[in-house]
Amino acid sequence: MTTPAPAAGKTYDLSFARWVRDNINGGDKLNLCMQCGACSGSCPIGVQMDYGPRKLFMMIRAGMKEEVLSANTQWNCTSCYRCVVRCPRGVPVTYILQDLAAKSAEFGYAKGPHENKNFAQSFWWSAATFGRTDERLVTMRYFFSLGLGEGFKRAMANLKVALGMVKTGRMHIGLPHMTKGRKGLKAILAKAREIEARH
Amino acid sequence: MSEKKPGVYLCKGCGIADAVDVGALEKVGKNEFRIGHCVVSDALCSPESVASMQKDVADGAVNRMVVGACSPRVMAEKFRFDGVPVVRANLREQVAWSQPAHEEDTEMLAADSIRMAAAQLAKTQQPTPAALGEVSRTILVVGGGVTGLTAALEAAQSGYDALVVEKSDALGGWSSKWPMRAPHAPPYRDIYGNDIEALIAKVKANGRVRILTNATVAKTSGQPGAFDVVISHGGQDVTEKVGAIVVATGWRPYDATKLTHLGYGASPDVVTGIEFEAMLAKGAPVKPSNGAPVKTIAFVQCAGSRDPNHLPYCSSVCCTASIKQALQVVKGDQDAMAYIVYEELRTPGTAEEFYREAQRNGVVFMKGKATSVDGKAMTVSYSDELLGQEVPLGGLDLIVLATGMVPNSTNVDAPAAADPEKDKAQLTDDINPVAPIAVAGYAKGEGTPWPHIDKGIPPGGPILNLQYRQGPHIPILADGFSDSHYICFPYETRRTGIYTAGPVRRPMDMAESAEDATGAVLKAIQALEGGAVGAAVHPRVGDLTYPKIGHEKCTKCRRCTVECPFGAIDEDEQGRPVVNFARCRRCGTCMGACPVQTITFDNYNPQMVNDMIEANEIPDEFSEKPRILVLACENDAYPAIDMAGIARSHWSPFVRIVPVRCLGSVTLQWVSTALQKGYDGIMLMGCKSGDDYQCHFVKGSALAKERLSKVGETLKSLALEQERITFEEMSIADSCRAPTVLDAFAKLIGDLPPNPMKGF
Repeated sequence: MTTPAPAAGKTYDLSFARWVRDNINGGDKLNLCMQCGACSGSCPIGVQMDYGPRKLFMMIRAGMKEEVLSANTQWNCTSCYRCVVRCPRGVPVTYILQDLAAKSAEFGYAKGPHENKNFAQSFWWSAATFGRTDERLVTMRYFFSLGLGEGFKRAMANLKVALGMVKTGRMHIGLPHMTKGRKGLKAILAKAREIEARH
Repeated sequence: MSEKKPGVYLCKGCGIADAVDVGALEKVGKNEFRIGHCVVSDALCSPESVASMQKDVADGAVNRMVVGACSPRVMAEKFRFDGVPVVRANLREQVAWSQPAHEEDTEMLAADSIRMAAAQLAKTQQPTPAALGEVSRTILVVGGGVTGLTAALEAAQSGYDALVVEKSDALGGWSSKWPMRAPHAPPYRDIYGNDIEALIAKVKANGRVRILTNATVAKTSGQPGAFDVVISHGGQDVTEKVGAIVVATGWRPYDATKLTHLGYGASPDVVTGIEFEAMLAKGAPVKPSNGAPVKTIAFVQCAGSRDPNHLPYCSSVCCTASIKQALQVVKGDQDAMAYIVYEELRTPGTAEEFYREAQRNGVVFMKGKATSVDGKAMTVSYSDELLGQEVPLGGLDLIVLATGMVPNSTNVDAPAAADPEKDKAQLTDDINPVAPIAVAGYAKGEGTPWPHIDKGIPPGGPILNLQYRQGPHIPILADGFSDSHYICFPYETRRTGIYTAGPVRRPMDMAESAEDATGAVLKAIQALEGGAVGAAVHPRVGDLTYPKIGHEKCTKCRRCTVECPFGAIDEDEQGRPVVNFARCRRCGTCMGACPVQTITFDNYNPQMVNDMIEANEIPDEFSEKPRILVLACENDAYPAIDMAGIARSHWSPFVRIVPVRCLGSVTLQWVSTALQKGYDGIMLMGCKSGDDYQCHFVKGSALAKERLSKVGETLKSLALEQERITFEEMSIADSCRAPTVLDAFAKLIGDLPPNPMKGF
């Protein structure tokens, strides 16, 4: 079933839980959450999240759409899968968070310079373009996506680290790493986009 | 019985001979009580010893015996010989296992045990039961809901006739009002169709069951095995003879008009769970206000339940019922959204999978107390315990209030009593709160010490209209449910032979009610069969004794008729007590109440315990050996002491323990005898009293406490310290505490000067 994306403006939107259930990958399992908190307790970077996964899920049920979609929880997830392994009710926490991040970007909740979003986009650009991630390109693209001044500031601050890495052979100089069949990769990605657009 | 031929049988086994000189005990029997027939065995319970005892009985050498061995709580079957009264002296648990071996005090305790048993035996007779003989084997079932129907069917299947009296014009009760049921069989997952019609058909088809609809009970008199019941049916009264009664009057939903704080009445779209069931029965639910389909629905749990201003208790079924209704909604319409706002989800039984099934189907559970319901804006606000904030659930189509169960402890349609104060007293605490005339221990017009219930007095008149001295009602507990012990003796009411089952006893669902009905019917069968042979029911199952009243001494003070916890004693026209034997539970509360000690049982009477108290040897005041009398309730306190002995705990050797049927049977005469004999301290040890009582006879320990509060003055007049007499609550689980309690009291008594009455 398709439900239109949630309308902005209301604080408590009862249709949000239903929308998450129908449109977010793993959202149909979200109702099984019994609020034990094993996910939030297991999360290695939970302290850096606005809300732990447990609370975020309860907020989804309560229809707190604005707070959920603008939270940093889904962006900070490192996909370590500890929560998924430990969840006693089999809720795929990581999938839900990843898809929530994608959807919040899609609906414009991660506007302007958004560290997590911009980093993710830089990472994805490198992966999609070269089939590999190149540390230099990802970092530079990420830094300068935050603004020209900010980009210079961060680049200069990290210069010493970068040179040190080059010196010890941890970062190479020259063309970026690339996969061999980049044409194939592009075709795969194009097909994936086409499938996604069907829904 | 012709000539009394007592015998003393002593056991040396289980460590008894290692702790005491059994030969000396034999001499106690021979020399002090002149019982020639004294036998000592290495193991009295061995087949050879039992066979030789049997032979002594068969030869006519012995026709009554003292068995000095283990506790009376064990080996009762082995030492049972037809027509022979057997008295047990507890040499094992309470002497050999709980006292140091071969010490002077241990030997004295053992000898006193034999003395008490011999004195007890002298006043014990083989009981002659008060059997009714011919009894009615029909069971009256009041109420034709799932409980009543199951009860009738179970009675019929057990070979008894059943008579179902239903107030309304149709069978099925509330259970017939909903289309679906919550699961009660594996895999306990999904809702399924209500099968009540099949049960009704089965009951109707059974030849042993008679059904009267549009009928009520107008009057009930008699006793188990022989109740005379007048039934109003079709404008006339019919009299029926029944053996026992199962009261399955069920419940009614809590009056939602009192729930205005939860929005009831503000909008037609705020309904109760019962009203929602009616909507579901018609098909897909629609908004009552405009007929639009229900897309978003919220269930508010604990609507009025667990609320001190409404129903103080949990109604137990509403959570499962709301899950069931929510599942019906979301399964019926994939677009519908169901929210359940709960404080704690309480689904007794095997409902975890059911709960998960609801989650899998998208029912959303919100944990928090509903703070307000706005019927106009259709918003449920609740304080979410998991988010820590107030959350409004807005834009709902329908709000369902899960209201609780109110027991039908009375017939709401019947006219109320003329004297509401008296009616209330009889319904809540049928022990007359005011002493009718001044008798021992009570001044005229003095009230009982336990608090009266001000809330939850149900409206209407009695269900059975009992023609009992203690009023027409089946007494209720504070919450309005029938008075029984939920755990220890659930079906027993305070009216023997009348068993409550189903939600009139406590909130329960259909499956639980059916199970409850089965249990109650078995109890009803026991009661009527017990009446036939003169045997007691719970807790003294099979006891053939009964209270005999010596009318020549009776002063018609009415304390026995007033204080009987089970309303067993009525009064005749002259005010003399009349015992309805089959109603009696044999607790002896009447015996303890009688100011002239003229109520006796064949094997338990005031003189007997008096003699037991006097049989103990009291050392003089210079011996520094105080004596403490413990009157221990044999249901809980005595087993607790036994178990302490089994655990090899030791306690003061100065304690002399006399088991009593119930502390309610303790007469103040015994206390006065003990003080005059020279006992230094007296302890009454029994069950917990009060609202959460554990007394097997409901009011026994409360009455004992009450009576004991009156002896303070007596002690003062004898110039004795008030601390010498104490009351201790001891449950069967308190065995580890028993030695500590006894030792503490022994120390307290040891610190007091000796009783000056010693030696007089």
